[in-house]
Amino acid sequence: MDILGKAGQRAEAAELYEELREGVAVKFHGGEIESVGSVAVRGRALRVIAEGRLGFASTAGGTDAALVESALLAASHGDRAPFRFLGAGDGRGPSVPVLDPAVGKIAVEDLIVWGEDAVRRVREEFPELVVDASLERGTVDVSVRTTEGAERAERRSYLSMTVEAEQVRQGDIWSVYASRLVRRASDLDRDALLADLIRELRWGREIAPPPLGAPPVLFLPTGTPVLLLPLMVGLSGLAVFLGTSPLKGRLGETAFDERFSLIDDGTLPFAPRSRTFDDEGVPASKLPLVENGVVSSFYYDLRAAALANADPTGNGIKGNLLGGGGFRVPPGPASRNVVVAPGEGTVDDLIQEMGDGLIVAGVLGLGQGNIQSGAFSNNVGVGFAVKGGKVVGRVKNTMIAGNAYDVLKDGVRAIGGQAEWTFGALHVPPVLTTGVRVVAQ
Amino acid sequence: MEDRLREAVAQSRADYTEARWEQVTRSRVAFQRDQLMALESGEEAGGIVRCLVRGAWGIAVFTDPKELPRKVEEATELARTAARHVADPVALAPVEPVEARWQGEVRRDFRGVPLEEKRRLAEGYNKLLLEHSPLIASTSVRYTDSWRTTIYANSEGTYVEQGIPDVTLMVAAVARRNGDIQQGFESLGYAAGFEAVLGKEEQALQAAQRAVDLLSATPVQGGTYTVILDPDLAGVFIHEAFGHICEADFLLKNAPLREVMRVGTRFAVEFLNVVDDGYRARERGNAPYDDEGVPRRKTYLIKDGVLSGLMHSRATAHKMGAEPTGNARAVSWEHEPIVRMRNTYIEPGTASLEEMLHGIERGLYACAAFGGQTMFEQFTFSAAWGHEIVNGKIGPMVRDVVLTGNVFHTLQNIEMIGTDFKLEGSAGGCGKGGQWPLPTTTGAPHVRVRNVTVGGR
Repeated sequence: MDILGKAGQRAEAAELYEELREGVAVKFHGGEIESVGSVAVRGRALRVIAEGRLGFASTAGGTDAALVESALLAASHGDRAPFRFLGAGDGRGPSVPVLDPAVGKIAVEDLIVWGEDAVRRVREEFPELVVDASLERGTVDVSVRTTEGAERAERRSYLSMTVEAEQVRQGDIWSVYASRLVRRASDLDRDALLADLIRELRWGREIAPPPLGAPPVLFLPTGTPVLLLPLMVGLSGLAVFLGTSPLKGRLGETAFDERFSLIDDGTLPFAPRSRTFDDEGVPASKLPLVENGVVSSFYYDLRAAALANADPTGNGIKGNLLGGGGFRVPPGPASRNVVVAPGEGTVDDLIQEMGDGLIVAGVLGLGQGNIQSGAFSNNVGVGFAVKGGKVVGRVKNTMIAGNAYDVLKDGVRAIGGQAEWTFGALHVPPVLTTGVRVVAQ
Repeated sequence: MEDRLREAVAQSRADYTEARWEQVTRSRVAFQRDQLMALESGEEAGGIVRCLVRGAWGIAVFTDPKELPRKVEEATELARTAARHVADPVALAPVEPVEARWQGEVRRDFRGVPLEEKRRLAEGYNKLLLEHSPLIASTSVRYTDSWRTTIYANSEGTYVEQGIPDVTLMVAAVARRNGDIQQGFESLGYAAGFEAVLGKEEQALQAAQRAVDLLSATPVQGGTYTVILDPDLAGVFIHEAFGHICEADFLLKNAPLREVMRVGTRFAVEFLNVVDDGYRARERGNAPYDDEGVPRRKTYLIKDGVLSGLMHSRATAHKMGAEPTGNARAVSWEHEPIVRMRNTYIEPGTASLEEMLHGIERGLYACAAFGGQTMFEQFTFSAAWGHEIVNGKIGPMVRDVVLTGNVFHTLQNIEMIGTDFKLEGSAGGCGKGGQWPLPTTTGAPHVRVRNVTVGGR
């Protein structure tokens, strides 16, 4: 008898999540290949509802019997399950394309050559830089099955590339990086990745004093997590239910600038966090969270939906935007692809428009602080000073501070027209803001 | 598994081979407000093989123990592929082969504590937080334990078996008034038994009260301040700002940075001493050997203001002509060892808190840490809360205190080091190269620093 059958004999209902990760990764250090690694990791998690109580257990390598016992033990001391596992009658939703067979055909040798090519191209223009890189490709097989008759399985491919360039001079060390995460081989635009990196290296040739006070601040896509991370925490249906979200009770209200719209989309073909179903088997959806500044929905897993009397949205995911997750973590509400509606104009247009200001391309200390309130205060790890509509150099020892909710309500000056994938699963245009405080040494 | 491991590394045809198999027993209880969000116990096992061929690493991570011999071949093959592209081959500094078996000591082994009792403990702390004030809107209480048994063998004849206990507790309260949301928390972690998380009611209440107090605190005004760091925050400072750049793998293939980080260079005021201590019993993440089978040792990173040592793996030690320090650590069987800190601290100095406060007209007293991050010389870390210092006295509470600076300047700007000392292992952990959360501890006395940039509105 399989494990679901065994669990089903001793519990009212059971749900089995299985995951098999297979892939290879190459790492470059100091411009040269350092290691090549493979992974083949199989993990499982079992949830049961026994005597009305919820239990969870996970394992890699363990026996069926031990996994069932652990889950039942947890249930025996657990609380009443506020929700039911997915059943045979629950909707399946359309199939989302997430597997590109071409990814599996990329040889280790190819990844190494791509890494070497990136190193060479950065050094052509910046011979003094130390270049690190990593490239990974593989597949994740995920299946969710329940004793209630739900059965979902799919294979998802992934391909990622990160290049980091460091400049080390006595008294002046800095680094920039660019990264891509895709599911389809043809979506990995290595030229664009290198163009991003080289643009920042060029901008950063000179050091410039930052504008102080409350200048216009342009968040490039790579800098927008400063504003979006607090929002994604606050738009979680669980945070709203628990009362830790400033958006509690504000559904239908205009809480943001009316040019600001945000969709959590799990159905975009081949997007980094797209999937046909979430880690509880619920179909992925396209969920508008903010429409023209109005809070239009929150996102839910099965539990949060039941607690809040809402419908599950297919956001029951192991691991959040910041990573983590995998088989050993129970599912919780987490965003999929976070898509911000573009406005108009190129980055160059926005730079010209800002006159004198600060460009934020990356920060240190992201998410460290009272993120629930929306407050942020970060070192500008990669940022550039703008004078008279032109980038004059990179800034050092500079901090930005503000509140993401305030900035996105009253401080949006312009939203750029070109959205880019960044930070794993954000598809976001540059955002020009006011009301962010800048201090520097 | 011991025999399989020894056999697999002995039969490998790579220049060097190591294999590590881990079995982890763990449990976890988590409450948020009135909801039991997690209650679980279980086991997992997995392994990693690492082979060196002509100066390049091949690595294989796997969960099926029967696959071990095949994984050694796979890692060897991957290393061969990489080796064709290597101009500056990796080599390992020599170490004496060891045979060792070690188990962490605990007073009350959490593996024998019923899950129900762990639930009751977390629930009790949660209740204290919830009932503390009507302003408490939500809470988060998390208990975790794990017993990580690692067995390690390499082709030089080293065999090390270690059983590392880990127990953590995190309590956080969220206070809410109108639209404002503030958080207070306490967090602890030890390589100890269940006893380490009992009797923490006082800390829980402090966390709840702090969340409430922060509702009345004003956001700090941005600017440059003379700052007194409390021992918690000073410990995080030295870990983030200086510890990370003393991890020699950053320097391995980075000649210009090796030049900057040359041992013997003066980096700090002469009364600063910074240590990475390899093994302290009962402290979080501590065990006598690292994940390359190298005994851990105590390393002075800064002695009398001068850079006196770095933290090494065998590869970095070879490259830089140093001795391995036992700092090669892996967060789990899914990862290869990289250079990491252990117990990193500033040694006590001579000043009292009163002496430190004296003469500060307008400064900041910054306490406890949300977290921190470093990018070479740039560092940042966020205090959980702070107080203004006005005319030598600790004044009103302020919030959203995030400090930043250039480490090389900041180490020269240290004005006083306190006589008190506290080593702290939190419930979180350190992150690097995709490996998180690695248990480490940080420690320090109170430290006074001038000219620190603080972000703010």
